[in-house]
Amino acid sequence: MIDTDLTDDEAMLAKTARAYFADFVDNTYLNAQQASPDGYETRRWQQMCELGWTGINLPERVGGAGGTLAEAGVVAREAGRAAIASPLLSTMRAGTVLDTLGRGVFDDLLARIAAGSSAALVAPADSPLRAEATGDGAYRLAGPAVTVEWLERSDDVVLLLPVAGGDDRSPAGGDTWLCALLPGADLRARAEAVPSIDNERVARVDLDGLTLAAADVALDGIDAGTARYALARANLLRASAMVGGCEAVLERTVQYATERVQFGQPIGGFQAVRHHLGRMLIALDAARLACNEALTRAQPGAEESAIAAVALFAAGRSYVEIVLTAAQIHGGVGTTTEHVLHHHFLRAKAMQLRGGKRANRLREIHHALVVRREGSLW
Amino acid sequence: MKTVLGDEQLTFLTELRTYLDGLDPQLVEATRIENIEDPMQPRGHGRRFLRRLGADGWLGVSWPREYGGQGRTAIESWLLAEELYSRRLPNGLLTLNAIGPTLMIVGTDEQKAEFLPRIRAGELEVAIGYSEPDAGSDLASLRTRAVRDGDEYVVNGQKIWTTGASVATHFWLAVRTGAPEDRHRGVSIFITPMDTPGITITPIITQGGERTNAVFLDNVRIPVSSRIGAENDGWSALVTALNFERMFYHNEPRWELRQLTDWAAAAGLLEGDSAEAHELQAVVGEHAVDVEICRLFAQRGARMLAEGRVPHAEASVNKIWWGELRQRICDTGLDLIGEDGTIATGSPHAPAHGHLEHGLRSSPVWRFGGGTNEIQLDIIATRGLGMPR
Repeated sequence: MIDTDLTDDEAMLAKTARAYFADFVDNTYLNAQQASPDGYETRRWQQMCELGWTGINLPERVGGAGGTLAEAGVVAREAGRAAIASPLLSTMRAGTVLDTLGRGVFDDLLARIAAGSSAALVAPADSPLRAEATGDGAYRLAGPAVTVEWLERSDDVVLLLPVAGGDDRSPAGGDTWLCALLPGADLRARAEAVPSIDNERVARVDLDGLTLAAADVALDGIDAGTARYALARANLLRASAMVGGCEAVLERTVQYATERVQFGQPIGGFQAVRHHLGRMLIALDAARLACNEALTRAQPGAEESAIAAVALFAAGRSYVEIVLTAAQIHGGVGTTTEHVLHHHFLRAKAMQLRGGKRANRLREIHHALVVRREGSLW
Repeated sequence: MKTVLGDEQLTFLTELRTYLDGLDPQLVEATRIENIEDPMQPRGHGRRFLRRLGADGWLGVSWPREYGGQGRTAIESWLLAEELYSRRLPNGLLTLNAIGPTLMIVGTDEQKAEFLPRIRAGELEVAIGYSEPDAGSDLASLRTRAVRDGDEYVVNGQKIWTTGASVATHFWLAVRTGAPEDRHRGVSIFITPMDTPGITITPIITQGGERTNAVFLDNVRIPVSSRIGAENDGWSALVTALNFERMFYHNEPRWELRQLTDWAAAAGLLEGDSAEAHELQAVVGEHAVDVEICRLFAQRGARMLAEGRVPHAEASVNKIWWGELRQRICDTGLDLIGEDGTIATGSPHAPAHGHLEHGLRSSPVWRFGGGTNEIQLDIIATRGLGMPR
């Protein structure tokens, strides 16, 4: 069963990206990068930037390709399929947040991102981290330390945080958010690299008491719905990467079940295994359809976050379900560091968890779909 | 990504809703109650409702114009089904959506002329006679026998789980015309009026309160002209109809979830801030995710049909998701309600009007009907993943 939702242009982009990664990524490569000091190869990062991927959905005025979020999703999906770790996803997420918030105030940073500068995004899904206004347009941050992807390797850091105490400038009358831009170097003293369960790099950063000068705060008074929509669009790139992971793992598992012979026949002939594989395809299909639908509906200004939240949740749930079943079908061989499945296994849980706490996400979805009936035809 | 629903489709939906809102409220309410009790067999009110839709041109929206349809795509047909399911009103079920389209493919000109106008008018309803006491999932082992006698066949045997036999006008049945060892290559399909002499219907009542039937065939004489397709070539018609059938799994989970959330709203849990409310919101949130995905599966199937492709593995995925989700919503919904969930339908004290406990009682057939989910998983492995059989 193939994905028939892609337009011709998207299918061509997917083919290009897949061929690019297939040319050099295998388990040996992934292990070597994971063991390396930086966690990724600078020259490969530069190639990805030269291919235009960090700016694929950024406007042409900042040097981007002016493409859609769906095109960015296609790239993220292929990177996720390859299980390759790099600042690509966090940079694309940061760029997408800034582009969605728009208003031209971020054009300098967007131009740097489109030109190949890396960025980290600080927008913790569940943390009580808040910005408190201290007057004159400055803010002080308060809250526990947060875990941030690729903070230590990023040239810039984008913070998208709620402002404590709410603000009546919001049209909805609810909380407002701010978006601050900092050089990555400014936060490194507060950051401590910590080992991640997967091959991505993360740091623990204590932002409590950090002062954001007025000049750092590129935009404040952001309506909460707008901020959440910007994050939802960024999250769709993570969802896309997880869908790519689902595809890769299912394909490998089908191949293994076709080749591995026990009791005189390929194990894929046994109904118990076939049903496992069928369930894996259902899980992939659910995640991919939800993600494609959300990418389709994530037009600029749509401000519809629920379907993106559905896609993120479904992708995380499916990716984890698929790697757990894949490990069962592979048996011992899939659990070794000599097999690429182990990267997907660890990435699945890590990527799911980076979306935050399951119960909180589900309650948000409940509120959007059931209480507010957002985007519902019925 | 390609978009599926354009302005044309959304306009269609708006027009449909305007039409349905303008129908006689007494007819609609009586039909709704009848349909909730037992959705698989439109009876007095349901038949009147379907004839009303047929007369007003709202049945067969995706049928070609030459057969009296609106000539729209499968997308509109799907939207119509979703809208009717959302209101718990009948949509013509298998007769309109599986048998009619199958007749268009395999029927003779005479059969098309005889049956299609009446199906589209909501006047003709078939009961499906596939299963037998010893032929369930292994349908190719069916033993009801048709023996040629001049211009007729003489049919003897027994069908079971023939839902709707007592209200149908016609019987669509699979019988053995070849040797038993020929398996699926020795099967033919016939259509015959339900009141043909020799047909006896006896009721079987399910734990959900729905009626299904056993049908006995005793020297039933069916003209050769009522055979659908060539002799011993009925399997392809049967598979075609089953593939259409598996595309009807849409909006019921959404309706069931709504019963749960209506109850939760009244109990103050929908937007509450207690631990109990939080648990409900998380459980319902996941159901809402799965309901959205169910819609996307059905939408994808409709789009494939509209593009001239036939969903196979895609239809199986849809069917499994739909049935398991409905059952899960009823089951975990009752968990959230607790002990009051034991109060049965019919009592004014039954939470969610008893719909969840009724749903749970009715739910087994959602997983094994229309081809068991285990058979669907095998179809997915073979056709969706290319695994050798």
